[in-house]
Amino acid sequence: MTATKKISFHIDGQLCEADDGRTILQVARANNIAIPTLCYMEGLTPWGGCRLCIVEIEGSPKIVPACTTPAVAGTKIITKSDRLHNLRKATLELLFSERNHICPMCQYNKGDCGLQHQGYVHGIDSIRYPYLFPALPVDVSAKYFGMDHNRCILCGRCVRACDEIEGAHTLDVASRGIRNRVIVDMNQTFAESSTCTQCGACVTSCPTGTLFDKAAAFRGPLASCQQVFTTCTECPIGCGLRVFTKENRIVNVWGDPNSPVNRGHLCVKGRYETWAEPRERILTPLVRKNGALQKATWVEALDTIRKAAKAAKKTEKALLVLPRLTNETAKTIIGLAGKIDRVGMHVATNEAALCAQPDYTADALTKLQDADAIIIIGAQPSRDQGVLAARIRTTVRKKGAKLLIFHARKTNLDQFADVRANVVSLESKLWKRVAATLAGVKRPAVVYGSNAMTPIGVTVLEQLIKILETNQGGQAPLLIGLTAGSNSLALAGAGLEAVEEVGPWLDAKPLKFLHIVAGDAPDGGLQVMEENGVPAALPQIDCVVVQAAYQSHLTDLAKVVLPAAIWCEKSGTITNFEGRQLKLTPVLPLHGEAREDAAILESVFA
Amino acid sequence: MKKTTATKPAKKPVRKPAAAATPPAPAKVRVATMWLSGCSGCHMSFLDLDERIVELVKLVDILYSPIVDVKEIPDVDVGIVEGCVNNNEQEHELKKLRSRCKVLIALGDCAVTGNIPGLRNQFTLKDCLLRAYEQTESTKISCIPNDPVVPVLNAKARPLQEFVKVDLSIPGCPPDADTIWYALTELLAGRMPQWTEKNLRYD
Repeated sequence: MTATKKISFHIDGQLCEADDGRTILQVARANNIAIPTLCYMEGLTPWGGCRLCIVEIEGSPKIVPACTTPAVAGTKIITKSDRLHNLRKATLELLFSERNHICPMCQYNKGDCGLQHQGYVHGIDSIRYPYLFPALPVDVSAKYFGMDHNRCILCGRCVRACDEIEGAHTLDVASRGIRNRVIVDMNQTFAESSTCTQCGACVTSCPTGTLFDKAAAFRGPLASCQQVFTTCTECPIGCGLRVFTKENRIVNVWGDPNSPVNRGHLCVKGRYETWAEPRERILTPLVRKNGALQKATWVEALDTIRKAAKAAKKTEKALLVLPRLTNETAKTIIGLAGKIDRVGMHVATNEAALCAQPDYTADALTKLQDADAIIIIGAQPSRDQGVLAARIRTTVRKKGAKLLIFHARKTNLDQFADVRANVVSLESKLWKRVAATLAGVKRPAVVYGSNAMTPIGVTVLEQLIKILETNQGGQAPLLIGLTAGSNSLALAGAGLEAVEEVGPWLDAKPLKFLHIVAGDAPDGGLQVMEENGVPAALPQIDCVVVQAAYQSHLTDLAKVVLPAAIWCEKSGTITNFEGRQLKLTPVLPLHGEAREDAAILESVFA
Repeated sequence: MKKTTATKPAKKPVRKPAAAATPPAPAKVRVATMWLSGCSGCHMSFLDLDERIVELVKLVDILYSPIVDVKEIPDVDVGIVEGCVNNNEQEHELKKLRSRCKVLIALGDCAVTGNIPGLRNQFTLKDCLLRAYEQTESTKISCIPNDPVVPVLNAKARPLQEFVKVDLSIPGCPPDADTIWYALTELLAGRMPQWTEKNLRYD
């Protein structure tokens, strides 16, 4: 790479220095010179569509958009003049008159709207043009967000975010002139869309109330909310969250733009599922009396537990946790080891092998974007690790990286794959194709999940690595291991035994007391447990204590249920798949009588 | 489409100028306020001036208003209009006021943008009437009013400036009492209010 040349030029009489090739807007922003924008958004390709950032260049009769015009050495840029002000004002008035911008009843409401803000800045009190009052539809068919075309200014930020950040390119612009409109797929609704991943990046990027989160609509401006930054615990990626709260309620959850992991992007799990979903929270301890779970005090519940625990020998007691705990809770559990015979961490099938050799790849997400071939084996990032899937999609679509997928289940990444096969169906013919596809590849990345840990999966993985290593002269490819559990690797590293088949684990010794830490897993982690026949084993145990935040079939089977904290109430750290220690900050105080995991475990086993 | 060109600025008032005639006490500014298609919230916000109204009436005479029992619009200095133009009667009244006032103020979002009454503009007038008078769940005897004395709805609800020249717009739904106070005191001091980021509100 050649060293970039420095250039200097004037903006509003101020001498500015910048790298050659920077746009006028970038330099102006870096020098704290305000230029109004609507369609410009950091991190997206400049579009030059809204014409608010127009500037004058001394000596030139033309006005140019600052966001797309590179700065030229020696020029004198004017960003504020009566001519520019009047042009910007006229542009804004045309935007206001074109669609139905009815601020008092906008779902976005007060303070967050870019169009409204620019109207204020430019002193617009009324519109000189007749209003068009077009009849435009509202699409609220998506589960978590809606699109109201009445508010749209066609800035194209959603289109670019969908294409460049999520890589889905669900949104685009159709028709010409006054009929211009943002559409979903082939002019369908969000519900009909086959490509929308519901990541909500379009909503975050929308400067008006066009795209809005249903759960946040009409709940006041985000500008007036408190913001807390914490970490998502839904998968091992560990995305930074920016949580907006008001009066001890979550108003919205966006990605933390300063997080080195996700850089502001989220998937549907972190963005919506954790808070916009109706889930029945357990608020008080519950104790089974006369066959039914009934509300009880902590003292009562703990008494019941202690009595049952006393009746059981040490060898008859076990603790089963889900891999969603913080590192600190793991330490507490290790400290309690003397009081319980068996402590197990319930992981997905084949995941124990991943946990046995924790394989953190530093800066995996950044390195992945430089890869020229991505191989996914035994993992399903588009379902389980949405932000990683977005990176894979953009790398494949924008940078032309090759994509090879070896997985039994179909995913929405398949459409971009050069080779797509089931691990077990790999034959010599296919291997030839794989080798041909990988020929000449210089920076390959292998993303493997727990399903790659089956005997055949391991063979395939080894074979692939061998091909890649011979391709690039013995150099190992970038290996990215993914677990299903959010914090499995670190918890296993702390000394928790990874248990895949819980049934046999429970049956190994006669059991009288079982404590399950389900935490804030939506179904109590039951889906995985059901596969292993756990529910069937539970009625045989005298006392089953479930520590969970949400009601589920698992809590229905318990003798005592203890209310646990959820993601936004936890503190501590988790370790993501890159080996980063990420901090959890409590966003809200503990709801009801819920307590943090470690505190509950201490009071149960102390 | 309706004619949207503004009518000519106010004609010279027919009334004899009072200001010159009474030198000892300066003549009060004559004000009319009008309520077209709006919710009266802007008038409420005007009343929200609270004790400042006492200050105001020292300088101002309110001669015509929903809160003044006068049928005919007199000649005034300032006309303040809340709400947008929805039917032929309102259009007529607005034009009459414009011809009898020197300064016309559009007060609130309905007068300035069409706002909530303008929501019906997305539908045809026929659909609106059917929904209101026939299809509403509580309707027992359905009949779209057709008496000749009932004003006829315009095809679209439109803001004031599409009918007459508006001298000052005060947006807001409703505008704050403080904003109204600022605008009126500035006008009384002989200045035009300046809208900036700080005092402009559309919601």
